Amino acid sequence: MTDGLKVVHYLNQFFGGIGGEEHANTPFQVKIGPVGPGNALQQILGDRAEVVATFICGDNYFVEEAASGARDASAALEEIKPDVVIAGPAFDAGRYGVAAAQMCIIAKSAGIPAVTAMHPDNVGYTTLRSDLVCLPTGTRASEMQDALSRMADLALRLGNGEQLGPASKEGYLPTGLRKAIVREKPAWERAIDMLEARVADEDYSSEVLIQQYETVPPPMPVADLSSITLGLVTSGGLVPRGNPDRQMSGNAQQAFKYSIEGITELALDEWESVHGGFNTKYLNTKNPNYVLPLPVLRQLEDAGVIGSIYPNFFSTVGNGTAVTNAKRMGAEIAREFKDAGVTAALLVAT
Amino acid sequence: MIPFAAKAGRIVRGMRVEHVCGDPNLSEENDARLARRIVDTALRALQTEVDGPTVFDPAEETASAT
Repeated sequence: MTDGLKVVHYLNQFFGGIGGEEHANTPFQVKIGPVGPGNALQQILGDRAEVVATFICGDNYFVEEAASGARDASAALEEIKPDVVIAGPAFDAGRYGVAAAQMCIIAKSAGIPAVTAMHPDNVGYTTLRSDLVCLPTGTRASEMQDALSRMADLALRLGNGEQLGPASKEGYLPTGLRKAIVREKPAWERAIDMLEARVADEDYSSEVLIQQYETVPPPMPVADLSSITLGLVTSGGLVPRGNPDRQMSGNAQQAFKYSIEGITELALDEWESVHGGFNTKYLNTKNPNYVLPLPVLRQLEDAGVIGSIYPNFFSTVGNGTAVTNAKRMGAEIAREFKDAGVTAALLVAT
Repeated sequence: MIPFAAKAGRIVRGMRVEHVCGDPNLSEENDARLARRIVDTALRALQTEVDGPTVFDPAEETASAT
């Protein structure tokens, strides 16, 4: 076994055999040889590699005491000098996923390749993916054997100094990073090949990945309008005159919050739109309420048709806005609305 | 079209991008009435159960009392 690679395996407190949630604060520790699923991993690796040590840490500890966990992990790697690190699999366990991903990043910064595996929705992958070789798993630990053997496969190759090909070929999850490569054929020939394949009803894949919009399940209908607190949002680029927050006319990074407390309509000399994607003449010379129909809503509020209007509205510019930014803004707005007891929201999209 | 592509659940058809909730070519009174109809449609949408992207058209809204 002396010719094999040296592997360090990372596990959380549960898979490391220490205990469940009540042991999630267990500090970082090192055990000699494989532990728990590491035994199955060792069987898969055979004499090609040896699991020389298992790092175990409580999920809470590794995430909450990140600096201390990282220090201990770096020191242990320095001492053991493995050829490759295997972390998890973490399946859909969020904190374990983050810990496993962090372990991979610590290894990477020490010049040691690392592999992990988890569910594609695991926050460990979604937040740290650009630094990971992360294989997809389902949500159930019954897939352990399959996940371990796929991880072992990539770990052996990485540990032997091999460079991996692109995610789609190797089966790991996309890192979101693009690498420049030289194709055999020029673009026009590839385009014609693709067109021919399409006409002939054969398989082909686009070289440009189009981001798919998620389908968001619609919330339940409102039973009684007169008891709601209504939140207002616009992507029409509405800002106080002079644009004090310097909202961008395109590719907005933020949604800003403005008070409409006690205001019955948006006055032309106090509000403007800085949207760069359409002609704002009507909004800026006639009526800014076209992208936030406040006068009507105040009437309905006064008449008791709707309960009340939340005193702050959110405004962004929906012009070339990246989906990831839009998603983050949406989540921030939703969080404030939810915390404030807003029960329904209207969004004017331009 | 765009919110439909973005898969929002309840979508109200607005007028134009430049004036979503009204029409500057109308008289002030009719413009206000139109804004009311669009908002009424939105409120109807909020009260309607949907299981996927659904468009609500203000043109189908019955005239409101006020």
